[in-house]
Formats: sequence, C-alpha cells, structure tokens
Amino acid sequence: MKITDFLKCVFCIVFLCLPISSLADSTNKITQQTTEVACRYEMSVIPHDKSQATSNTAWFFWRTPNMIQTLVANGDHGEIWQRTVNGSIQYRKLYHSDKTAVEYMPADIPTNNMNFDWFKLSTMLTQQELNALKPVKTTQVLGRNAVLRTGKTNGQTLEVLWLSDENLPASITRNDENRTVALRLVEITPLSAAPHKPIAVEDITNYRHIDAADFGDMENDPFVKKMMAADGHHH
Amino acid sequence: MHFLKKLSVMAVSSLLTVSIAQAAEEPTPEDWFNAGHKTVVDALHLHPNKRHAKNVILFVGDGMGISTITASRIFDGQQKGGYGEENSLSFEKFPYLALSKTYSVNQQTPDSAPTMTAMVTGVKSNDGFISVNHTLVRSEPNANVINANKLTTILEQAKENGMSVGVVSTARITHATPAATYAHTANRDWEGDSDLPAGATVPDIAAQLVDFNINGGIEVALGGGRTRFIPSTATDPEYGVAGKRKDGRDLTAEWGSKHSKAQYVWNKAQFDAIDPNKTDHLLGLFEPSHVHYEADRIAHDKAGEPSLTEMTIKAIDILKKNRNGYFLMVEGGRIDHAHHAGNAYRALTDTQQMAAAVDAAVGKTNTKDTLIIVTADHSHVFTIGGYPQRGNPILGLAQGVGEAGPTLDLLGLPYTTLNYANGPGYTGASNIQPDGSKTFTTPATPGWASGSEGHTPTSYKPANGRPTLSNDQVQHHDYLQEAIIPLGSETHAAEDVAIFAKGPKAHLFHGVVEQNVIYHVMAEALELNKHQHSYHHSK
Ligand SMILES: [Zn+2]
Repeated sequence: MKITDFLKCVFCIVFLCLPISSLADSTNKITQQTTEVACRYEMSVIPHDKSQATSNTAWFFWRTPNMIQTLVANGDHGEIWQRTVNGSIQYRKLYHSDKTAVEYMPADIPTNNMNFDWFKLSTMLTQQELNALKPVKTTQVLGRNAVLRTGKTNGQTLEVLWLSDENLPASITRNDENRTVALRLVEITPLSAAPHKPIAVEDITNYRHIDAADFGDMENDPFVKKMMAADGHHH
Repeated sequence: MHFLKKLSVMAVSSLLTVSIAQAAEEPTPEDWFNAGHKTVVDALHLHPNKRHAKNVILFVGDGMGISTITASRIFDGQQKGGYGEENSLSFEKFPYLALSKTYSVNQQTPDSAPTMTAMVTGVKSNDGFISVNHTLVRSEPNANVINANKLTTILEQAKENGMSVGVVSTARITHATPAATYAHTANRDWEGDSDLPAGATVPDIAAQLVDFNINGGIEVALGGGRTRFIPSTATDPEYGVAGKRKDGRDLTAEWGSKHSKAQYVWNKAQFDAIDPNKTDHLLGLFEPSHVHYEADRIAHDKAGEPSLTEMTIKAIDILKKNRNGYFLMVEGGRIDHAHHAGNAYRALTDTQQMAAAVDAAVGKTNTKDTLIIVTADHSHVFTIGGYPQRGNPILGLAQGVGEAGPTLDLLGLPYTTLNYANGPGYTGASNIQPDGSKTFTTPATPGWASGSEGHTPTSYKPANGRPTLSNDQVQHHDYLQEAIIPLGSETHAAEDVAIFAKGPKAHLFHGVVEQNVIYHVMAEALELNKHQHSYHHSK
C-alpha cells in the first residue's frame, strides 16, 4: 500500500468515528470569549529517553478578560500577562516573598510585544493548533462538557480534551520525537468563588520592579544574587 | 625592515589563498610596505592641537572592550564585502590613543557607575555610586549627606560656564552612565521615586534630570526610560502600561513647564518633526525602559524610534546654537546588555551603530574646536580565538588557512572564533533551555509557555562534552556563543579599555592612564580648571 493511500484510509477512519452533530459547530465556534476562571493544572514532561527524569509541576491559573496570572502551586513565584488599553501585552515574573516583579520589556522581546499570542496565553493552545485538531467525541470532564480533539501539528501529535464553554483545555497531551508533555486540569471554579485568589494587580504595582535586561549590572543586589545563585546547590 | 617586509609578504600570501576572485584587488607586498610607511609619514605631520576646545563630545560604548572593537571592525568590514580585518571603525582613525585603567575604589572589575563617575568628575569611587565620593555608605538615603559628598561633574561645570549640555543614550536616560553626568546618588538603581526606600530624602535620578537647574537646565536628553517620568495614574503612550512614579509628578510635562522653548517627544515622527532652531530643550524618551538593540530597532519598534546616530545629530544641532560651546555625552548603552546576554551579534551591531554616530559627530563638527573622545567604561569577558583564516566570517566557525572545513578541537568538534569566558552560553542543560547550544530567545516549550523570555538561567546541569556546531547555527543572530563558566549573566572584565581622541588637547591622552584622567583632559581642554578649585567637590 502506498503511503498516501494509507493516510487516506486513516483519515477516513478518523472521519467516520466523529460524532457528526458536533463536528461543524465546534471547529468554528472557537472564539476568544473568556470566562473568568480559577484553575489548577498539573503538567508532566516525560522524556522518551528513559535515562532522563520525568518532571512534574502544578500551578494555579487565573484568567480575566485582560489578565492571566499563574502561580507555581508549591512555590512563591508566578507570572502575569496583562493586556493594556492599546492592545499591548505587559509580561512580568512575580516573586511574591521578595515583593519583586521582573519585567520583560517590549524592546527586549525580539519577536515584539505585539506578537504575544493572547489567544494562546488564555487558552494554552494557538488558534492554528486548535483548528488543526479534529473533534473525535464529546464527553464530560469535571462535570463540564468536553470535546476530545486530536491531530498533528508542527511535528507533534496532539490530543486535547477541550472545554468548549470555558475555552480551556481539560487536558493536552503532546508527543514529539523527544518527549511527551501531559497537561491536566485538576480544579476549576469561577474566579469569584476561587479558594485560591490571584495577587491583586494593585499589590503587584507596589512590588519592586527590575528590568530583566539589568540583571547583568546588578551583581551586588541581594535579590538578583539570590536569583542567579544555582538552585539547590548550596554548600 | 627585512622583517617587516617578510611579514607583509606572508600576510599577502595568506590573503591570496582565501579567494582568487578577490586576489586582483589585494595589496601587493609593496602596497603593504607603502601603506605602513604612509602611516608613519602621516604621524610625522601630526601636529598637536594645543588650542582650547569650544565643544567636547564624550562617546562611551558601555562594555565596549578592545575585543569588542576588533570583532565589530571585522564584522563591519565583512558586511561591506571585504575580508574585514583591514577595516577601521570611524573612531579607530582618530590620531590619539591611550589605555584606561577601569578599576574602581572597591572593585577590581568595575560596573558602569564608578567608571562613569571617574570619567566625568575626575575622581574614582565605589561600585553603584553616581558622582558621589567613595567615603559614603552604599545607598546613603540622606540628601544632606549626599550633597556634602557629591562630586561636581564636567556637565555641571560646562553649564556654570554658560555652555549648553546634552546626554544621549540607548539605555534608560536614568541608567548609570548617563546619570553620572547630571545626578548624585549612592545607589545607581534609584532611578525613579518608586525605587527609593521609605524615608529617603535624596531625590531619584529622573527627578534630578528634570530639576537640574544650573543656568536654565539641561538642553538635550534623549534615550529610554519613560515609565520613571510618568505617574502611576497615567499610562505609557506607546504600550499602555502604567507609569512608575508614585509622587504623582509627570516629569515629561514638567520638562515643558520648567524650560523655555522646550519639547518632549516619544516617537520617531515627533522626533523628526523637531526643528533644532526652534527648540532649546529637548527631552526624548523612546521606550518605557532601554530602547531597542540596533539589530531589532527598525523591524520591531511599535512607534518607531531614532537611531543613536540620529539622536546624536539632533543633539548637536540643538547644542551648537550656543556660542559658548557645548558638552555632549553619547552612550552606546546596549553593547553591554548584549554581552551580558552572551549574544555577540547584538553587541557587534550596537558597536557598529555607535561608530556611525561618532562618524556623524565628526562630520558635523570642526576638529579645530571640538574635542571628541571615544572610550568604554569597562570591558567584557569576550574573546576572539583559534586560528581562523583571513576573511573567515567573524560570527562563524574557526576555519584555518588551507583547511577544507572548520578546525576541530581535541574532541573532534568545531568551535567558533568568538566566545565568552562565562555567561548564559554554557552548553549544559539550563532550567530554561536543553543541553547544547543556547539562544537569545527561548523558543516556546511544548507545554504552555509564552516563549517570551530570553535565556537568563538560574541553574545548569554540567555539560556533557561540547555540542556539534554548524555554521548556520552559530551565525544565527540569536546564537549565544559558548561560555566556559555557567552564569545567568555574562560579566564585565577587568582589562584596560581604549581611549580614542581627536581635536583640541587630544594629544594629552597617551600611555596607560587611570580612567579619571579623561575628566582632567576634558577640563583642561575647556579651561575649566582655571575657574575651579583643584578638588571641585562641592560643600
Ligand atoms: Zn554591564
């Protein structure tokens, strides 16, 4: 069998498996409406090379129409992206116990601030990736409607459980030649009812701010010294 | 002479092996000999300009060590289609040269604050100190103590003598190098009022710029650092982010109210529209923080910003209206940042741009009455090594004379000509990028990441040997050259930097000198010392 014939076959099988009702709707309905949510995600990076260790992380994810904030679940640092009045995106890393924000300035993001993909920040997938995935079946996750979508994009196979009402993934499994990255939603509530709330933007405004480009000239600054010291190599 | 001739012949023969196509245009051994001789004849006719200077322009390439100049010269020459090595950057043609010892009172390897303090006050000081003497404690918050220990700057003295003054930088205009010309503080990071600790009475650097009140204030200040001039209740005009001032002051508006014939601009169109004949005070702040690297400026700036050359030209056109002359400081501020990031390409392109700014300044001034100095505050741990053949791409893999491919190390792997002794280019896996070569921008990782950050790692795993490099990879503009010692940020270096000079009193630069001598040559050229006490520290 020629490879093209084989692929045609695979496509036919995938197509036949689709629940017909959801097909047309769900690919077109993905717009950028954002509900305000508070989530907790877990992520595993599993290298195909068994000699390398699997890494597991968990973090909080908070979303409002113009702000995304994260916090490492068992740490004190996170990130914040804010969409400003003129559509630019301000990005800062947050170190809460030091009350310090590290800024990544537009002039230092060679791809330009404007190229931050708000869709991806707020949904964890690009619009192109989402469009490339075919709906396979509908299901329920954490009591919410979900669609299993699968496909291949940029050399990775992708499997996504998509919460259509929230515009968020309940899970993403990416496979490339080196590793499997598995992301899983473990908790989701409306932001107003969230047990863990994000740090208020006004409080972050009062943090000390450092431009990441200045680290090289802050060799004697206690915070920068601490940041630049090797993690976990204290003798 | 025999020896010289022999050398020239060897040089030329190695040239000829590089490219037959270019061989016809290559100098003959006689050409080499004659060119060398002409340099000496020119030197015989060089007459020191013993006049006093009407104007002084001080160019500072932040972190522009000698290896940076050499690599930039080759890079620039190769871009022009030559081998590169024979090329000269504009300031390398200046007739007088000295070496500058850059250590500070308390550091073997210095930062930009005490080094610029030395250059503009004539006195060496401590790390992080901006034109205050070293007897203070770091971060002294008391304005009275700062006042009692401040060191008068050449810019202040120029104003007192009725001259015009300007400060131009690609860094924040409140950053250490430009700040040392007009501000006094014992912590270089106190750039805006929100950076000050509670209870501090010393004013922040941005306020010191706008409140500078000798003879009508500073005429020209062009660079980055907008958010520290804007109150937190207002938003940035280009990006919409909030300002950083908590005292409610809008220093950009105050610039207009405090000065006569004053303008504030924040984008290129406004900048281009400024008529120097109708503007006596110009504040231009083109980014919230540092402006773009030259390599990224045109492609990526949202509102458009002028180049260092364009800012230099505009500054001179405004300042030259003063018949008493002017003092102008121009900083290529981001050469340093590119090196800290371990990215040679952006350091070289920013150096190239500074050389263009110097060239423009030379073209707009008269060498009889204008002293132009080009120097650096300190160097970086940046090396040019191996035995690459003549004309080998400066960003490329080292390939020797007669070799069919890149030279291999003892692991059998190719290596680049440019490397760093330390920094983020270390090839072990970092907490941000995998094992192997590192890049300036971290690509989006497979999970969920913005892909927005550079490579400023906080941990590394030991490298397993060296990566296998290709020319395509290492000549990419985002490639980080290999570093031996893993550090989140590459460091400054302690070796001497060069001082290039032309114009009145330029001949006073000779030999190996302490960095603070730069001030004393400028003061001598402007006859400032006739009017000042021998130690001009103001009480
Ligand atoms: Zn530096």
